[in-house]
Amino acid sequence: MRVVVAEDLFLLRDGLVRLLEAHGFEVAAAVEDAPGLLTALISERPDVAIVDVRLPPTFTDDGLRAAIEARGQVPGLPVLVLSQYVEQLYARELLADRAGGVGYLLKDRVFNDDQFVDAVRTVANGGTVMDAEVVTKLLGRRAREETLARLSAREREVLELMAEGRSNSAIAQRLFVTEKAVSKHSTSIFTKLDLVPSDDDNRRVLAVLAYLNG
Amino acid sequence: MPGMSNTAAVLVGLPGMSNTAAVLLGLVLAGACLVVWLIRTRRVEPAKGQRGRLRKLGWCAALLVLSVIVVSSLSSLPMPGNLSSWWLAMPVVAALIIIICWPHIAGRIVPVALIFYGLFGFVVARDYAFGGINSYGLTAVGNSSFQADLILPQAYAILLLGGWLMLRSADPVLVRARRWLGPVARAPLGYQLRALALVPVVAVLAGLLAPRLWLAGGAALILTPLLLFGVLLVIRRWPVRAAQLATAGLLCAGIAGLVIAAAWRSGSYVISEQCFSSLQPVPSSTAASAQPVPAPAASAQPKKPSFVPPAKPVKPAYSKPVCRPAPLFIGGGTAADIGDVVWGQALPYGSVLVDSQHTADAAGVEGLALLALGTWLAPQAFPRVRRMLGGTPDAELTKRVERLTESRAVAVDTASADLRRLERDLHDGAQARLVALGMNLRAAERLIATSPEAAIALVAEARKTSVMALMELRELVRGVLPPVLADRGLADAIRALALDSPLHVETDIDLPGRLPAPLETACYFAVAELLTNAAKHSGAREARIAISHSGRLLRIEVTDFGLGGADPEKGSGMAGVERRMATFDGILAVSSPVGGPTMVVMEVPCVLSSPRTSSS
Repeated sequence: MRVVVAEDLFLLRDGLVRLLEAHGFEVAAAVEDAPGLLTALISERPDVAIVDVRLPPTFTDDGLRAAIEARGQVPGLPVLVLSQYVEQLYARELLADRAGGVGYLLKDRVFNDDQFVDAVRTVANGGTVMDAEVVTKLLGRRAREETLARLSAREREVLELMAEGRSNSAIAQRLFVTEKAVSKHSTSIFTKLDLVPSDDDNRRVLAVLAYLNG
Repeated sequence: MPGMSNTAAVLVGLPGMSNTAAVLLGLVLAGACLVVWLIRTRRVEPAKGQRGRLRKLGWCAALLVLSVIVVSSLSSLPMPGNLSSWWLAMPVVAALIIIICWPHIAGRIVPVALIFYGLFGFVVARDYAFGGINSYGLTAVGNSSFQADLILPQAYAILLLGGWLMLRSADPVLVRARRWLGPVARAPLGYQLRALALVPVVAVLAGLLAPRLWLAGGAALILTPLLLFGVLLVIRRWPVRAAQLATAGLLCAGIAGLVIAAAWRSGSYVISEQCFSSLQPVPSSTAASAQPVPAPAASAQPKKPSFVPPAKPVKPAYSKPVCRPAPLFIGGGTAADIGDVVWGQALPYGSVLVDSQHTADAAGVEGLALLALGTWLAPQAFPRVRRMLGGTPDAELTKRVERLTESRAVAVDTASADLRRLERDLHDGAQARLVALGMNLRAAERLIATSPEAAIALVAEARKTSVMALMELRELVRGVLPPVLADRGLADAIRALALDSPLHVETDIDLPGRLPAPLETACYFAVAELLTNAAKHSGAREARIAISHSGRLLRIEVTDFGLGGADPEKGSGMAGVERRMATFDGILAVSSPVGGPTMVVMEVPCVLSSPRTSSS
């Protein structure tokens, strides 16, 4: 699997490249600024790009903007955005094209390399991964609403994990229940929230996120 | 007041009626309308306070009186075609309709109408001889020179009253018009009041310098408002400069008055019929079309027999002596001819129409007064003059320095308190965790050979500690400079804030550029504080943030649809926001009636920098 990495701090970039290579990824290019990223994305057409939000030249949100622009030119180009902080506003912008193949994670998540590599693979396969912190904020914002209040505590947990982009088996493993139980919860959640149920993991994540963002 | 009785007669359509009866009938009619209106408003707006109703009643009464006066001024104008005199009553009818149907706009119309009627006075004062106007304000025109001389002072009084009401009015449309003229001027009120002296200065100078233009009926009605508008614009935009300009103008105008008086005193005037004959071909076409200029012989007859009692002597045109102050035009032929044209008619100087010895003396007195006013204002308007005279500093300036000293102290205090908080947070949080991390790693290093399991546990703990440290640092950074604010500026930062709020927040942000960085941060934290307050105390579920920038003013509105009754004096939150905004010369106003909604408005003068740089 070919990866493009964009990160301006040498130590972090080097660490990321080594971590990815240790897990069998091929790093096609490791760039340090936004223009370089855009060029690499268009020329290399990697399976997935890992991008830091804050990049040169302006050290603001250049990485995010480059990623969104590249997705405009190459629709559905999988991009995993890493940042020191997560913002609902940026998550919305990333999800705006509803094409999938998007991830938005805190940089700390790299510490847990197994989960991080899983996330990279999910995004590369066209899935959607959202940081737990974004999901918490999304749920917090709509906590007072009646539709969400209808969910049971367990169903809320499942919803949270679903919004993060986890598959049924991953959720089952995390909550120590059977996959069947998870799929039962999931059906119940979709009924209560008035959403169209779907077996496809990715479409399910997008539906949940769209609901929470709405 | 013959004009009034004429109007009343027009109003009731009974020209044959006696004047007194007509006036009485008019008053009864007006009274009845006011009573109807009062009952109506009591029913429609019972919540309005007694004072508000009285004020509105005052505006309506003023509108009615003004319309009657206007009609009385117009009643003797020759109407084109077969228009009946009923048309003249239209202003009064319109006023009554407004009073009955839309009483709230009376306060909007009166100041504007006063200004126009005041301007009209300047036209009447000059054109009284052939205009056919037979009354202005409370005076009949043209029966004696004394009555005619009363026109200009009235015009000034009405103009100033209109201007003052316009500046003070709380009517939303007038307020918007004022805001459109210029942002809330930050210059002290004193400067603005001093700058108002520009109005008489412009009037005097324009009267002196361009009498033909100034006085020619219709042209003056268009030009005068334009001039006045220009003056107001200058006062709103550059109050300090305008005050200086007004002072200099007062001095010049005062000197001009003295010169005129001296010229008359010296006795070398040409008061002759030649003057009229030389003037006769000159009247501008505007004047001719706006107001038919009757030949002297024709106008000697009574103009409107139906309204002006024939017994009254009607002033023939040019009955006032028209003269030329010769000493001003030494130099012979051409200059004298120009003098005939420009100075040939009676000369308006401020509130006096100079056409005889006693009016020239009055002009001299007025000139002295203007000169005195200018001399008094000079040290205040020009700091250099004040320093030259060794005077004390400007009181307004002293007050401003006090305010600045206070807000600077607050700014310095806030900054140092923020730094101390930052230091404490780092010391107790991230630093402490890093120390723990190092100790854990060292212990793991030692254990790795003897008991690898224990070492692994320690390393795992170290990793958790580093996650905690990062989380704390993130929160810290958010408190110092929120990332979206640094990345994208105020608009997107507020949108992100709205998304993070537990309330449902609607945003309406129109900022075509970036604000200066310190102001951006202050505005962000002000809105964040207000939003937190709303979420905690108001019981609201919805809120609205509107940000706009016009002229040089940033306006932020934070509204929550909660219980209301917020008291800015009680909680320290809002007072803190106000103090911080004061550092940027910003102001904060709170409206929070019991039952809601609570609306906080902040206004800060500032200029936007670069154009919008948005990503999406």
